[in-house]
Amino acid sequence: MNELARDLLPAATVITALAPACRFSLRIAPQDGVEAAGPLGFALPERIGARASANSVEALMLGPDEWLILAPEAARERLVSGFEALSAVHSCVDISDREISLSIGGPGVLDLLSVGCPRDLAALPEGEARRTVFDGVSVVLWRDGSESFRLDAWRSFMPHIESLLASAERARAADCNRT
Amino acid sequence: MSYRVGGRGRVSDRPVTFTFDGRRIEGRAGDTVASALLANGIHLTGRSFKYHRPRGILTAGSEEPNALLQVRRGPGRAEPNTRATVQEIHPGLETESQNRWPSLRVDALSINDRLSPVFAAGFYYKTFMWPKAFWDRVYEPVIRAAAGLGRAPAEPDPDRYASRYLHTDVLVVGGGPAGLAAARAAALPGVRVTLVDETAEFGGALLSEPGTEVDGRQAWAWLEDELTAVAAMGVRLMSRTTAIGYYHENMIALAERVTDHLEAPHPDLPRERLWRVRAGQVILAQGAHEKPLVFNGNDRPGVMLAGAARTYLNRYGVRPGDRAAVITSHDSAYAAAFDLVGAGTAIAAIIDTRLEPPAELLSAAAERGIPVRVGHTVTGTDGRLRVSAVRTAPVRDGRPSFAVRIPCDCVLMSGGWTPALSLFSHSRGTLLWDAEAETFLPDRSPEACRMVGGARGLWGIGAALADGAEAGAAAVAALGRTSAPSQRAVTGDAPGTGQACRELPTDWPNPRAFVDFQNDVTAKDIRLAVREGMRSIEHVKRYTTSGMATDQGKSSNINALMIAADAIGRSAPEVGLTTFRPPYTPVTFGAIAGHHRDGHFEVTRKTPIDGWAEANGAVFEPVGQWRRAWYVPRAGEDMETAVLRECAAVREAVGMFDASTLGKIEVVGPDAGEFLNRMYTNPWTKLGVGRCRYGLLLGEDGYIRDDGVIGRLAPDLFHVTTTTGGAARVMNTMEDYLQTEWPELKVWLTSTTEQWAVIAVNGPKAREVIAPLVEGLDLSPEAFPHMSVAETTVAGVPARLFRISFTGELGFEINVPARHGRAVWDKVAAAGADHGITPYGTESMHVLRAEKGYIIVGQDTDGTVTPADAGLSWAIGKKKPDFVGKRSLARPDLVAAGRRELVGLLADDKLEEGAQIVLDPSEPMPMTMLGHVTSSYQSAALGRPIALALLADGHSRMGERVHIPMPGATLSAEVTSPVFYDPDGDRLKL
Amino acid sequence: MLLIYCPYCKETLPEAEFAYAGEAHIARPADPSGLSDEEWRDFLFIRSNVKGAHAERWRHVHGCGRFFNAVRDTVSDRFEATYPAGVPRPEAP
Repeated sequence: MNELARDLLPAATVITALAPACRFSLRIAPQDGVEAAGPLGFALPERIGARASANSVEALMLGPDEWLILAPEAARERLVSGFEALSAVHSCVDISDREISLSIGGPGVLDLLSVGCPRDLAALPEGEARRTVFDGVSVVLWRDGSESFRLDAWRSFMPHIESLLASAERARAADCNRT
Repeated sequence: MSYRVGGRGRVSDRPVTFTFDGRRIEGRAGDTVASALLANGIHLTGRSFKYHRPRGILTAGSEEPNALLQVRRGPGRAEPNTRATVQEIHPGLETESQNRWPSLRVDALSINDRLSPVFAAGFYYKTFMWPKAFWDRVYEPVIRAAAGLGRAPAEPDPDRYASRYLHTDVLVVGGGPAGLAAARAAALPGVRVTLVDETAEFGGALLSEPGTEVDGRQAWAWLEDELTAVAAMGVRLMSRTTAIGYYHENMIALAERVTDHLEAPHPDLPRERLWRVRAGQVILAQGAHEKPLVFNGNDRPGVMLAGAARTYLNRYGVRPGDRAAVITSHDSAYAAAFDLVGAGTAIAAIIDTRLEPPAELLSAAAERGIPVRVGHTVTGTDGRLRVSAVRTAPVRDGRPSFAVRIPCDCVLMSGGWTPALSLFSHSRGTLLWDAEAETFLPDRSPEACRMVGGARGLWGIGAALADGAEAGAAAVAALGRTSAPSQRAVTGDAPGTGQACRELPTDWPNPRAFVDFQNDVTAKDIRLAVREGMRSIEHVKRYTTSGMATDQGKSSNINALMIAADAIGRSAPEVGLTTFRPPYTPVTFGAIAGHHRDGHFEVTRKTPIDGWAEANGAVFEPVGQWRRAWYVPRAGEDMETAVLRECAAVREAVGMFDASTLGKIEVVGPDAGEFLNRMYTNPWTKLGVGRCRYGLLLGEDGYIRDDGVIGRLAPDLFHVTTTTGGAARVMNTMEDYLQTEWPELKVWLTSTTEQWAVIAVNGPKAREVIAPLVEGLDLSPEAFPHMSVAETTVAGVPARLFRISFTGELGFEINVPARHGRAVWDKVAAAGADHGITPYGTESMHVLRAEKGYIIVGQDTDGTVTPADAGLSWAIGKKKPDFVGKRSLARPDLVAAGRRELVGLLADDKLEEGAQIVLDPSEPMPMTMLGHVTSSYQSAALGRPIALALLADGHSRMGERVHIPMPGATLSAEVTSPVFYDPDGDRLKL
Repeated sequence: MLLIYCPYCKETLPEAEFAYAGEAHIARPADPSGLSDEEWRDFLFIRSNVKGAHAERWRHVHGCGRFFNAVRDTVSDRFEATYPAGVPRPEAP
């Protein structure tokens, strides 16, 4: 590879803040989880880290009795009333404003995330997600593609996370272009 | 005169100029400071730590104990104790020798060397005992000024540092033949292999032994192909990267030097990067360190290790001098001598301590015209700033006989080789004594770790290649893969053997034979330590400081052990080695801090209203990880003026406050009330929907842990608030009880701290301000009394509205979804403008609540305060059979007299928080301390200072006078109720 | 940094995701008011502090959020087993 080609490498990782979405924290006993298929329109995933979705509504299993539901704003009323009508005891709490999401994508994304996440993210299958830690902060990392991630964190932590990622990305880019 | 050898070495022809002690030095791109100095005939690089003896370059690697320099690369970029053997040169680099004044050649404190009997091992402990007061004021400062090496820079470090995690299946430490072969064998598709080397180039010993051939190819040509091949196989190659520590479960810390070798690095590049590597399998191929020989005068500039001389010649193309004397107990020094003769350095003699070195070496020496003196010792060396001669004598019955003086300008010594065991020892690997080689070898490691090549006592390039390949294959086999290690044919390899020596015999009356060069420890010091009662090697180490310098005794530990073992009269393995600890080589604080400096020093959490506070000149204070507006000064106001104004506004009109940081937990489920009954001291079952109650949370030990207001929004839904700092802890505690003690309860907890932005509006005009913004809710005192909660709409946004107060005034807390927090804040501010609404910060909040005697958990409590102590017995549900901490409230020491109880203090002066309280100020010291001031403020409402305090039996001391001794004056105060303002709470009922 | 197998997530994960939570198998007494001061003191403060295999609690705080139990050798700092809360301590191998 000549010098020019190296400089043109699409090494940059793109970090974008995502628009607010509708999010719920669903807590329900695993044996009652089947009932959630009513309001959701699909069965809850049954393995921690697994995701399921239909009609732009997505569910991620975070713990043995905990799911994160992600939906477009238009689906809010339908989901709220659907869960209110559920006969099984459960807790469905609106956390739409608790978190902010970033999209992080590009060839260097695994390198970049290794700045704060001690997990082996190369081993995280595409189409799954995990709650983990980034520089001491609880985050949910969604792997949407081999080089495409989303990161959710509580909103007060976001200035720190974004700034750290931006500074690390500058260093990473400078490193990639080093001869 | 140049000692550069044309056609030798791997450095480029490009000249690079840097400075040493202000003098311009020309080296070549690829040189280290050490190789460039040697190329200019400079051996003298510094003065030693204790005796200020002139010292030169001993080694060619990171184990260097002598050649430590102060390095500068522009303003603020200064580093002391940089090893000249590691630092690569670049234009603009400034280096300086250390520990000398006025100059390196003439150093005033070299008098210490004449006084060496005074400074023998343990001199600290013997000399500076008396008078006691002199230690702090005289001895310690003087010793500190005289000893030590470089100077720490005074300016802030302008460089940036970075850190990364790295996951790899196989990590190979050391890029010499063993490491390269291991990486090659492990490099299968789908296997992540990482190979690190601490120098600029991979190749290790191959770089110093170009005469070797591998598979019929010259070593360097083979090396280049091999590196290309492993890179193509996906091996991650990291040069200038030192493995500094080996931790649990195959976690290795690597320190990568990213820019120290660059003249003008990109400003975004970190200077260093710390890698936390998790490896499936680790292969340690760090080779071996050459041991110095311990003889009288072995530390003069010009005396260096034979292997180092060979490296300088073959890797850097530099000769150490014109006429070398070689002193050895090992075959490998012959190779150095032969290489140097070929490059134009005369070998005055090879002095071999052994009686019968291998015959082929003797004949090879004879062929080259090198005289060899077998069975000889070195009794001493001559020369002041550079060695000028060695004195050698045959040994008869362990004693030197008639000595001959051999003039020379450098001495190459070899006491044999000792495996680099540091990292293996960090992993808690055990060592095995090899009686024949008289050295320790690695035995077993609890980690998935393999030692290969020289690191486990296998000598020679052929053996290293074979051993590395086998270990690489074994490592992937452990991962369930199969690899066939390549067999390599090596020629020109000379592994060699040797004999381990103690101190070489001498007839000099007061020999100075150095064992630890960096800490100036001689063989005599070690024997003295043993004579004075040190039996454990750990005691010998601490008494003499041998092995305690920044080189951690890499070149001296085995020599020190052998000498100590002889003196103690036990075998070396019985005495044992001292413990190696991370880091393997010195690491900068910057590398350890990584990103965590300046703005990234720690996580700073910001509320949705933080932007307003920043734009309006608020002064912030950290509260836990949050930054909160402390006070919001107007132009020209100091803190006191601003806080008095803010407090007065709340009492007289209305104020607004960002309370978003309060912890919030949504407690949902049919058993929510029962759960809260068990967690909090208060009863919850009968709390009506739409009502709030103050909740007090204890630990099982009966002490206050947290508090907050809890509102009931539905029979099965509570909105719990916690303190800002306690939010995560309370959530964790609740989850703990729920998951592990009461899993049968049907209730779930969700943190909603950040779902809601919270705007507190407090003051007699609070209702007037918010009423126009609230839709569909009657805010009248009858319909929405104190301690109410409702779900409503505020400023067009769905909200939870609480009527609660932490100021004692009519108060509302507006909870809105966080994304709307700033907009609602602005609307409340606009709605309140006509009423004089005043934003206030945490300081005013603290003052206002203190005027009311409301506690702040963690300020007025300290983890030893019970509800009764704090005057909060009313918050305990007396009829509840149990709650967390209830049983402890009957513990004997919690009901005993003399407990420290919360009271108010009225003094003429503002008291200092934390100040101790006494009853009798004339009592001789130590005085009986009855408690301390927990909160103290100037109160705007009362026009005087007020304070809260924890005071022994305080509740029964109302009206008593107590005293607060302070520097210069003893203040006095009257004990009062902690409620200073509106004791009947009438203002809450407006 | 240790590696810990979460019995709920069924993955071996870095210690940074977990928080230590004290000795395991110390149940809160069903009726604390029926306990003597000495019995209550023992529940509050007395811990085994073993050298060797130690049953202890951890929480996968940056993960599934569950408290679980572990047997860790306090000498070697190795985990011998992790298991869900409420399950008896496994027999030594």
